[in-house]
Amino acid sequence: MATLEAVQYKSRTRTLVTVFTTIFLIVYLIWTLAPFLIMFVSSFKDLLEAFTLPEIGDFAGMGVFFEFTPTTKHYTELFTERNFSVYFINSVIVSTGSALVSVVLGAMAAYALSRIDFKGKDHVFFWIISTRMAPVVAVMVPLYAIFRNLDLVGTIPGLILAYTTFNLPFAIWILKGFFDNVPYAIEEAAMVDGRTRFGAFMEILPLAAPGIGAFIVLCILFSWNDFLFASIIGSGGAKTLPVATRELVTPTSIQWGKIMAAGVITSLPMTLLGLLIRKYLVTGLTMGAVKE
Amino acid sequence: MASISIKSVWKYYGDTPAVKDLNLECLDGEFVCILGPSGCGKSSTMRMLAGLEHITAGDILFNDKRINDLPPKDRNLAMVFENYALYPHKSVYDNMANALKIQKVDKATIDKKVKWAAELLELSPLLDRKPLELSGGQKQRCAIGRAIVREPELFLFDEPIAHLDAKLRAHMRSELKIMQRRLKTTMIYVTHDQLEALSMADRIAVMRDGVLQQVGTPSEIYNQPANQWVAGFIGEPAMNFLDCSLTESNGHLHLSHNAFSFALNAEHIAKLNGSAKEHSQVHMGIRPEHVTISARATPEHPIKGEVLVTELLGGDLLVEANVNDTRVTIKTDPDYIADMGDTCYLGMDTSRWHLFERESGVSLI
Ligand SMILES: Nc1ncnc2c1ncn2[C@@H]1O[C@H](COP(=O)(O)OP(=O)(O)O)[C@@H](O)[C@H]1O
Ligand SMILES: [Mg+2]
Repeated sequence: MATLEAVQYKSRTRTLVTVFTTIFLIVYLIWTLAPFLIMFVSSFKDLLEAFTLPEIGDFAGMGVFFEFTPTTKHYTELFTERNFSVYFINSVIVSTGSALVSVVLGAMAAYALSRIDFKGKDHVFFWIISTRMAPVVAVMVPLYAIFRNLDLVGTIPGLILAYTTFNLPFAIWILKGFFDNVPYAIEEAAMVDGRTRFGAFMEILPLAAPGIGAFIVLCILFSWNDFLFASIIGSGGAKTLPVATRELVTPTSIQWGKIMAAGVITSLPMTLLGLLIRKYLVTGLTMGAVKE
Repeated sequence: MASISIKSVWKYYGDTPAVKDLNLECLDGEFVCILGPSGCGKSSTMRMLAGLEHITAGDILFNDKRINDLPPKDRNLAMVFENYALYPHKSVYDNMANALKIQKVDKATIDKKVKWAAELLELSPLLDRKPLELSGGQKQRCAIGRAIVREPELFLFDEPIAHLDAKLRAHMRSELKIMQRRLKTTMIYVTHDQLEALSMADRIAVMRDGVLQQVGTPSEIYNQPANQWVAGFIGEPAMNFLDCSLTESNGHLHLSHNAFSFALNAEHIAKLNGSAKEHSQVHMGIRPEHVTISARATPEHPIKGEVLVTELLGGDLLVEANVNDTRVTIKTDPDYIADMGDTCYLGMDTSRWHLFERESGVSLI
């Protein structure tokens, strides 16, 4: 088998390109990571220390940024005074709940669309995708009206449902591609081996696992980071982290320390999740069981 | 164990028929080969038997019970797929053990059976590998292993050894046959290789373009082909066909070719049974091993020809000769020495001829 490594031949242009690419990547890295660094460091600073900054252009004075007495008071206050444990749990329940509902329903729908030929299949598939084409804000008002009438506003199931309406088409769309890549012959073998139709579907699920894993992460990310749905449909009983963070900005004061701490609390789990399943996402399961 | 009967079965894919009015009986414990060129509907038949393909019309019965609407898992059969269809995420061991695990067989028994099959199929060192790490032949053996570890009522093997190398294929032919005889499991075995069919089957069903041509024992198929197509398909090198006509002179029926003419004997005429008259246009078919060759004209070798090419096949010599613009292949001893352009004389064993109606190809004698 050929390796995936690209063959490279040395030349002057090649070297120049390498140098510029490296410089670009370094700048890009600073650009994206610096806000996180500032957020992280500031969340352990007192208000006064947080605003001690070097003069513009004084790179030697960068050190003052790191001269502070670390304090965890922002974190403790968030959890003791501002109920962040509740919001954190809300966020977890809502995002994983919606991801699970979407993946279960989505996998089954995607499987059916992938395996069964029926009249108007293309239209059904397009209709499913088209529900994602309207911007979220456009459907917000009617959705709110419907949810109000069903008494779903401000409840966790309501918020899960709201995210699912947006995650499900996405799930079907992504997962169909993964099922299309699994040869049907494997399911036939499973059925001859003694599985039911559904059992055969379960038998090939591991082959779609990279897709399912990727999708779950994207789904969780969408709900976890969402502000619009959470503030409108979740307001009241189903407050999530982004909404709670927003409430730290009051007409009388902006509590920077707490906002930074809340930012860390919000972004850390997603960063860890990403690192955890990174390997899973990039290595697709290899095939080769069926003679093409 | 099961007896199978396929009754007037049709298979359509959209508007194109793949199997046409198939009728086939398979006795309990019998080894039946379905033989035919690729695209003739063999796999479609197997897939209908397995329950993987809808039966467009007709019935399939297992032990006199109609199974058309039974899902695969309730048919108690094991199948070797033409395209292997292994589980890519499972090791060779787990591929083979899967069906037994589903049946909730205990671990020790599973282990024993898988090891036995691996031994038989020379897969023992590869049990931990994934299908991706196997060669084509190894995958195919793994697919066979997956079927034989079970004790089903029916085996369906769809070209199971087509991708093995010649030596292993010969070995597997006898192993599979011995295994089937010992287990006494009904076997339907699909192949496009006539040698496989002739050497393994109790009975062979020859198919062409979705139509069953003939069912019979290997010797019946070889010695009494039902039509010219079967006669030409079975046998390597293929049967010779010569354009002939039936003529009458002195009150005797003769088979006349532009290079020779033979009187039909009483046995021939009895077989013809009035089905061919004078002036009938026929094909005379004769296998290369039933044509003899000599460098000199003798009473046994009356037909004059010219050597075109010779081909030495180990113990046999194939000579291709031109007889009045008809090519005839002769299988003879390697002792026969001939060069291109040499004159030769051929003799034909008149008890081994076949006569086919020229238009329809139906066998007359
Ligand atoms: N799923 C299918 N859809 C349409 N045509 C098919 C399908 N499977 C097989 N055929 C056609 O049916 C005929 C018989 O195929 P098959 O049973 O696979 O033949 P064989 O196994 O003898 O090579 C072929 O002409 C093939 O093109
Ligand atoms: Mg086939």
